[in-house]
Amino acid sequence: MKSISLYVDQDTFLTRLHSFSKLYYIVVAIIIPLIGGSLGLYGLCLGLSFCLIIAGRIVKRVLPLIAFSFTIILTVFLIHGLFNQENEQILFSLGPLIFYQEGLLYATKIGLNILNMLLAFAVFVLTTRPAVLVDDLEQAGFSPRFGYMISSVFQIIPQMMGTMNTIMDAQRSRGLETEGNLLVRTRAFIPLISPVVNSSLINTRERAIALEVRGFDSKQKKTFLQDHKLQREDKLFMAFMTILLIGSVIWRITTWL
Amino acid sequence: MKQLFKTKWNAACFVLIPACIGINYLGKLFASVLKLPLWLDSIGTCIGGILGGPIIGGICGAANNLIFGFTTGDSITLVYALTSLGIGAAVGIMARLGHMKTLSGALLTACVAGFTAVVISTPLNLIFWGGTTGNIWGDAVFAWSQASGLPVILGSFLDEVVVDIPDKFITLLIVFTIVKGLPRKLTSLYELDDEVVSLD
Repeated sequence: MKSISLYVDQDTFLTRLHSFSKLYYIVVAIIIPLIGGSLGLYGLCLGLSFCLIIAGRIVKRVLPLIAFSFTIILTVFLIHGLFNQENEQILFSLGPLIFYQEGLLYATKIGLNILNMLLAFAVFVLTTRPAVLVDDLEQAGFSPRFGYMISSVFQIIPQMMGTMNTIMDAQRSRGLETEGNLLVRTRAFIPLISPVVNSSLINTRERAIALEVRGFDSKQKKTFLQDHKLQREDKLFMAFMTILLIGSVIWRITTWL
Repeated sequence: MKQLFKTKWNAACFVLIPACIGINYLGKLFASVLKLPLWLDSIGTCIGGILGGPIIGGICGAANNLIFGFTTGDSITLVYALTSLGIGAAVGIMARLGHMKTLSGALLTACVAGFTAVVISTPLNLIFWGGTTGNIWGDAVFAWSQASGLPVILGSFLDEVVVDIPDKFITLLIVFTIVKGLPRKLTSLYELDDEVVSLD
């Protein structure tokens, strides 16, 4: 069954890092440019993420993510470059389209922010196994019920996708049109989705009973198969990030003065 | 009124949440397979809100976006966790007030859910993308409003209205038909006023 997680199973520095260090990295990488408030800091964070991505050998997996975000960045550039309210200075024109400096500058900032967030998340997402993240969260005192909720999503979705394919084939063999104009496609939606939804909701009843029988509601403290603790590398990594964060605050204060 | 936010924290509710998140995912998938110009990614959140109440609905919505944000690398989804939370809670409240029993009530719920989504999403759009939503139709409206000199907030608001309100109408109609067809033996798990009665 195909997993929905993007995790790449390999042994690198990043996959060994504790999931909390990587979460901390996301926060720091997003906050630094917002605190510092200059375009150069976006460059710094993007560079940092790129270094981590290369070190983690996940460059190939990151490229489709970037390609996906490009359509959004492109619309932001088009709309603000052409129509931003503060547009005054004409930068260049392509035929009848006139691009303005102010709008493009604003769009650059938004585009860099999107890219920065995307790469920081990619570092985390591609190198952390969801089950490990849930384990780490539970060991830090997160409610195991919510932990179950998260890990169960990863089991349920591939199952539902299987059901969905079966139902799609079944309905098509009964003559349901799933291709054609918008009206035909819209009409196909209900007969496709309602059997899947119904069956998965009815399954929840049995799953609930199975869980209750196995002591899901028990208040007893659970033990763990693997004990994850922050290693020396994690502490070094987090210290480095904290230094960068403090640096950006100092940067902001000095530019103010 | 006291029953409005009451939630049963039993296994049934904790199993409902992942199922709802799965349904959200399927809705989005079907919408993209059938190439519909809507998101349809809150069907599960609405079902969660109707069956489990506003708090479970809110958790469904927020958890949906958080889980997908942190595992599929879709950091754009992550931003809208608040919106989903709002939708789930709004639908849950409307359902507890008894509006999901009739078709007209379902349409009213759709309005409420749609406006909740618009009100929460608009500031998020402004902060993160400068007003656009990433949906072609909505962004065309935004471009038009900016070209005709309307304020950015109003433009972004219209951008959301054009996309969110039809989306929520269709979502709630689908949810209405699905919930109507659910067997009693399932819905009784989530009823609030149940009592344990002994036979002798």
